[in-house]
Amino acid sequence: MTRAGRIATEASAAARSFLRRRTAVFFTFFFPVILVVIFGALVQTQPTGGGLFAEPAGYYIPGYLAVVVLFTPLSRVGSEIARHRDGGRFEKLATTPLSRTEWLLAHTLVNIAIIGAASLLILGLVLAVTDAEPVVSPALAVLPVFVVVAVALFCGLGSLLGALADSQDGVIAASNTVALPLLFLSETFVSPALLPEWFLPAVAASPLTYFARGTRAIVFEPGPWLGDLAVLSVLAVAFLALGAYAVPQTD
Amino acid sequence: MNETAAASAPDAEPEGADRREAGTEPVVAGDGVRKSYGDVVALDGVEVRVEPGEVFGLIGPNGAGKTTLVRALTGTTDAEGVLEVFGVPPTEVDPQRVGLLPQSFDPPERLTATELVDYYGGLYDAARDTDAVLRDVGMADDADAWYETLSGGQKRRTCVATAIVNDPDLLFLDEPTTGIDPAGRRSIHRLIERLADDGTTVFLTSHAMDEVERLADRVALLRDGAVVAVGAPDDLIAEHGGDPRLEVTLGEAAAEVDAEAVTAALSGRAAVESTRKGLRIVGVRPEDIGDAVDALEAAGVAFESLAWSEPSLEDVYLRLTGEEYSPLAGGFDEAETEEGDR
Repeated sequence: MTRAGRIATEASAAARSFLRRRTAVFFTFFFPVILVVIFGALVQTQPTGGGLFAEPAGYYIPGYLAVVVLFTPLSRVGSEIARHRDGGRFEKLATTPLSRTEWLLAHTLVNIAIIGAASLLILGLVLAVTDAEPVVSPALAVLPVFVVVAVALFCGLGSLLGALADSQDGVIAASNTVALPLLFLSETFVSPALLPEWFLPAVAASPLTYFARGTRAIVFEPGPWLGDLAVLSVLAVAFLALGAYAVPQTD
Repeated sequence: MNETAAASAPDAEPEGADRREAGTEPVVAGDGVRKSYGDVVALDGVEVRVEPGEVFGLIGPNGAGKTTLVRALTGTTDAEGVLEVFGVPPTEVDPQRVGLLPQSFDPPERLTATELVDYYGGLYDAARDTDAVLRDVGMADDADAWYETLSGGQKRRTCVATAIVNDPDLLFLDEPTTGIDPAGRRSIHRLIERLADDGTTVFLTSHAMDEVERLADRVALLRDGAVVAVGAPDDLIAEHGGDPRLEVTLGEAAAEVDAEAVTAALSGRAAVESTRKGLRIVGVRPEDIGDAVDALEAAGVAFESLAWSEPSLEDVYLRLTGEEYSPLAGGFDEAETEEGDR
């Protein structure tokens, strides 16, 4: 069996196993929908006033996408690692030709498919319930690339969290603790103008910032996005490598 | 012939030797294998050697180090000492040649038995036909049921299927029949025997002594992380199993019987112990049963039934682990152990 064949086998089993957990599937898609409905339709934006949602509706499209790009891989990969560890599955897989890197790549592919579908749902919902009008340009074709690269990055981070946490409960708690600040402090829902200047280096240190900047440059304020994609790609490779190394193989 | 931990291969030709390839390198070889978890010593200088085509049984109490040894041999835990599988360190073994059923294994629960075998088979360069593998473990009729809906025994049989799907040369089975009913156990036993007959080397750990006694060519008994005895089951039983015994059931009159009177009637040729249901006469060979019955009658003992039994691997286990059962004391007592075997 080739490397691609092993990855396809692992991804197929993982996808099938996930799609049969109806509750997990429902809430994976329902969670971002709730956010869009609450913030986009109920709270709405107030471009002329102050407060949290002071930017035009289109400004927050990267934030809505970031919800699934960030939360879903962190919790899913982390939980999957905890589930595998508790069930002795890594012990079994360690005696097969499947490597740790292949395992993580397979689960990253599954997450890309799930989050790609969720992103389309979010984009449709944002257009339907908010005043956002995304810029239509050839650069829009790069938007899926940003989603793919960011999902890969956070799958790597999820793997690290799964390896560090000693239980599924621990993984959920850890991923929420990491994801929540990242979500709001990465130029997604809170613009840099609302933050103290001394905090801005922390914003620049967040990988999600480059996803938000790049996607915003594509769908809201046309501008350069290649640099953001490059940073995001380098970080994705680094996190995937670290995440693959962290996948448990021995006790 | 049984051996101490320091001697890993019996001098005498062990039972089942016809399955092995004479003059070949051992499939599994361990020397001075040590593993600690903090202050807890799991493996303390284990020596082990498994020949090609051999069914090697590993027995021992909970916490003796059996699963740790399996993990060390499959490269899923680090251990000190020399460990070789097919002549190379466990982490460098061609995975195509090894199959593993971990003791605690819970595969994806919402895949069917067929999908699970397909999944694990799909990770190898070559895999056996899924339907044939499921037939081998007696799961053909439930192949399309989700794993989570299967009974405990069916789940374990499905897990066994995932361990043999790559047609391994060396198969590690860590308690393969846990939770399986007698019919299911027999199908697994037949499978192991068939695999061994076809040349597969099987490393079997189990708490079912009858299973190990039936299947294993050689058995190692692990206690406190060290091998205290190794050899063919018959040799271990002859050396450590004790004497055959005659259980005498007396019914309601059990408490009134004088064991010393029976001992006297036997002229001291066998030891007589009182049990909850009657008497146990230890050291009675088949040809001595008639004499024992005569002695019972001479002592005025009216019995309901007699049951003669040979010592078994379970007796060896209980004796060497110091967990010999004492019915009179109402449970398991620390018994005198054979420290000389360490």
